[in-house]
Amino acid sequence: MPLPSDSPIVLVEDLHLTLASAAGAVNVLRGISLRIEAGESVGLVGPSGSGKSTLMMVLGGLERPSAGRVQIAGLDLGRLDEDALARLRRDAIGIVFQSFHLVPTMTALENVAMPLEFAGRADAFARARAGLEEVGLGQRLLHYPAQLSGGEQQRVAIARAFIAAPKLLLADEPTGNLDGATGQLVIDLLFRLRAERGTTLLLITHDHALASRCGRIVALADGRIAEDSAAAGLARLGRG
Amino acid sequence: MTTLAWRIARRELRGGIKGFRVFLGCLALGVAVIASVGSLSAAVKAGLARDARGLLGGDVELQLFHRTADAREHDYLAARGQISEVAQLRAMARTLDGERTSLIELKSVDAAYPLYGAVTLAVTGGQQAPSLAEALALKEGHWGAVVAPALMDRLGIKEGDSIRVGDAVLTIRARLVHEPDAIGGLLEFGPRVMVAEQALAATGLVTPGTLIGYSYRVKLPPGGNSAQFIAGLRAAFPDAGWRIRDLGNAAPNLQRLLDRLTVFMTLVGLTALLVGGVGIGNAVASYLAGKTETIATLKCLGASRRLIFATYLAETLALAAGGIALGLVLGALAPFLAASLLPAQLPVSARLGIYPAPLLLAAIFGVLATLAFTLWPLGAAAAVNPAGLFRARVEPVLGRPPARFIAAVAVAGLLLAGLAVMSATDRRLALWSVLGAVAALALFRLAAAALVWAARHAGRPRQPGLRLALANLCRPGAPTAGVLASLGLGLAVLVAIALVEGNLMSEIETRLPEHAPSFFFIDIQPGQAAPFDALLRSMPGVTELARVPSLRGRISALNGVPVERAAVAPEARWAINSDRGLTYAATLPAGSRLVAGSWWPADYRGPPLVSFDAELARGMGLKIGDTLTVNVLGRELTARIANLREIDWTSLGLNFAIVLSPGTLDGAPQTHIATARTAPGSEAALARAVSQRFPNVSAISVRDALANLAGVIDAIAAALTAIAALALAAGILVLAGAVAAGHRRRVYDAVVLKVLGATRRDITRAYLIEYGLLGLAAAVLAAGIGTLAAWLVLTRVMGTEWSFRPGAVAATVALATLLTLFLGYAGTWRALGAKPAPYLRNE
Repeated sequence: MPLPSDSPIVLVEDLHLTLASAAGAVNVLRGISLRIEAGESVGLVGPSGSGKSTLMMVLGGLERPSAGRVQIAGLDLGRLDEDALARLRRDAIGIVFQSFHLVPTMTALENVAMPLEFAGRADAFARARAGLEEVGLGQRLLHYPAQLSGGEQQRVAIARAFIAAPKLLLADEPTGNLDGATGQLVIDLLFRLRAERGTTLLLITHDHALASRCGRIVALADGRIAEDSAAAGLARLGRG
Repeated sequence: MTTLAWRIARRELRGGIKGFRVFLGCLALGVAVIASVGSLSAAVKAGLARDARGLLGGDVELQLFHRTADAREHDYLAARGQISEVAQLRAMARTLDGERTSLIELKSVDAAYPLYGAVTLAVTGGQQAPSLAEALALKEGHWGAVVAPALMDRLGIKEGDSIRVGDAVLTIRARLVHEPDAIGGLLEFGPRVMVAEQALAATGLVTPGTLIGYSYRVKLPPGGNSAQFIAGLRAAFPDAGWRIRDLGNAAPNLQRLLDRLTVFMTLVGLTALLVGGVGIGNAVASYLAGKTETIATLKCLGASRRLIFATYLAETLALAAGGIALGLVLGALAPFLAASLLPAQLPVSARLGIYPAPLLLAAIFGVLATLAFTLWPLGAAAAVNPAGLFRARVEPVLGRPPARFIAAVAVAGLLLAGLAVMSATDRRLALWSVLGAVAALALFRLAAAALVWAARHAGRPRQPGLRLALANLCRPGAPTAGVLASLGLGLAVLVAIALVEGNLMSEIETRLPEHAPSFFFIDIQPGQAAPFDALLRSMPGVTELARVPSLRGRISALNGVPVERAAVAPEARWAINSDRGLTYAATLPAGSRLVAGSWWPADYRGPPLVSFDAELARGMGLKIGDTLTVNVLGRELTARIANLREIDWTSLGLNFAIVLSPGTLDGAPQTHIATARTAPGSEAALARAVSQRFPNVSAISVRDALANLAGVIDAIAAALTAIAALALAAGILVLAGAVAAGHRRRVYDAVVLKVLGATRRDITRAYLIEYGLLGLAAAVLAAGIGTLAAWLVLTRVMGTEWSFRPGAVAATVALATLLTLFLGYAGTWRALGAKPAPYLRNE
């Protein structure tokens, strides 16, 4: 799908999201407005329940807002149906999860090739091979997730997220399930690839040190943006 | 997209088929049952076609009753092919000392017999058996006979001994092992005795009015066309009154019986598939629930809902192909295994081989059942919300799939039902059975919903075991409804078969004999009537003697329209398919009730009137004042319908559908038939006395005839029960699948309960209560629905009396409860042994 290139990668205007629960309606997101330009790296921080993951789901087209407008790469998500959203993710959004979420019945190579396969690309496997070599798993192409360590699994997931050259990379606590040293390697890899490709990054983390590697920090509290280092001129917060 | 879906499906299949064992088992079982029944039926029909010439005795057979072909007819036939004449009648055989008697099926053959096939004879001691001509020839003043082994047992005679039939003494020269044209088969009244035509004449049994049938078999010259021959025959002798059969309907009764049995067995087989379908659906739903995370991941990576659906549909169909293939292999092999189990009375041997048509049909049934039961969970799974990947857990979709999937399920279900109806020879029966099965499934679903509702609203029992059991039955996603429906449906079919069989058997073995006569006496000559009455009256213990004149006739026209062209309802066809007995009477016969019109005066001597069976009149669209034409011994007789009677056929008395007014048939050649009752102990003496005094009179024991009929019903019920047991087996598979699917959760429950201080006994009790409730509910529902079905079949379809038989029902209920308890408990036994620590760490 052709994507407009001169607009911001993420444009959120007065976003509200209310979820029904047994205890009644919960206002998870309450009037969020956010603009992220191409090539920015943004750390999304905030306490549990502040709405970080929900915001990410909305940006990934996985959850529909109750009110407000969301544009990704110039496309208004409200105008896209379920399959168009799936195509948008395929072509323009990479996602890295805390729990990796590799498909257990597929090899590392197949896992990485999948977004390109969905797009019907004939070079899916050649590019997946190159992608895995880039993350240092050239010797692990035909291994299944269960045969890989946690750090290796997350590297496969990163290779998969970058394979379709997405404009936006969403990463949800990518080191949350890894030990310190491995986590550091994975984060270095993530930042290196993003820098090489100029990919816009939105990173959820509890770790302020990690967040500070991003150019900008947005802090959520109670469904609202509490601080935005760019908007508030708190750039030093981002520089740590 | 199809290629991509298939590629992903293939990768998913690497996970193994562990979760699909029940799926494969259910599908293979259902398909195997349908394929077996179809293959076996096709094999027997092929055998029938292969032996058709032998069974028919020629290329064309003409049957005449009471009269032989006249010279002109004979010459016409002889000019167009080789002919063979065979006569058949019932008679009595006696030992020379008169001590033992037996009703026999006597058959005389000419030198040309058999035109096709061969008669197999045997003699004891391994000597060379004589040829048929040698065996039947006149030697030392006595004609020879070959007889069925059953007669030798019954009369205590061996080869070389003689028997008396009518006035003739016949020497037994060999045992009759195989008779190519024996298709009387399932309901014969006595063993076969075969003699030469001159020997039949010597018996003196053939007199005007004797119940005798003559068959003329014609072997056409090479290249002869039987259709042309028949057309010519009809044109040359329009009023001959013969029944003409050719190879296409060599054994119409057997064919009909076979068709009916096939329909019944296929329908029960379909029940197995239907029951298994629940297991198929459960297995796919439970597999997809385990795949929720993968589906969410694929969606996050950009897979469309359609791609997800196509992927898992492809996987399901690939596995279904495996299950269906397994079922087809078993089904194709079935005729080879079952050929030896076919009833010995069946006059044809199955032609073993692979029959593609029934296998194809079974495969289509398999595919449709797979679609009907898996489209729902597949549609629901495609709706998984991938946002869950950001949370701790992705919830499987338990609810309804989008409307188009529900519509697809309905279409697959309708196709399945439509195919079941259209592929059956008896579509009405199939339609009702399908409707019945759907209604039963719906009832089970409703009842299951009620049970779950009751479990949910039972309050919070104090007893923790009971509380846990109730909670397990009604927690979201519990397989209660599916297990109840599948186990219950299989059981309900078993209950219904047991009740129908039990009622029919008690009808035959108890209720009918209560008021049925002990004997029918046939072929009493008019001159013997008075002495016959006198003899029976003189015998001690003989009661309820009744005797009426009897003629054979064929209904040839209704209101002047030939029956071939008249509109006759299927349930009245039996009356025009062959000759009927008819009589004349001055007064209303016993066992009949006048429902329309009035009976003629006892001294009526006007134009012919007829009293007709009310039910047949309905089927033929006849009313008072219409005319009925019967052909009696070649003479057409038209009578006006004066009244209609309701006849109680179950009295087994001297009931005639057609009773004519006196004077009409007085002069026609006729015999009398009589019935009498005697105490069970003196039956043999009565038969002996009648046979000694009137050698031409045959005594048909009602007890023997009913025992014969009971044997046939028994065999059919056994076959149906075997197949219904397979439907129950499918239900058990469903239960086993549900137990296996819930295993992980059960282990966790058990571990948590143990951590909280529950003992093994506490947990055991909870599981026993849960499965006990489930089994009991399935059993009670099955008993109710099975009883309802049996009641409908007996009272509405068969029109017999109904009595509830608690034994059969109680046995089924006990069986179901125990099975469920055992299987459920065996499946959860391992859960009890689980060590808490590893599970708690993993969770």
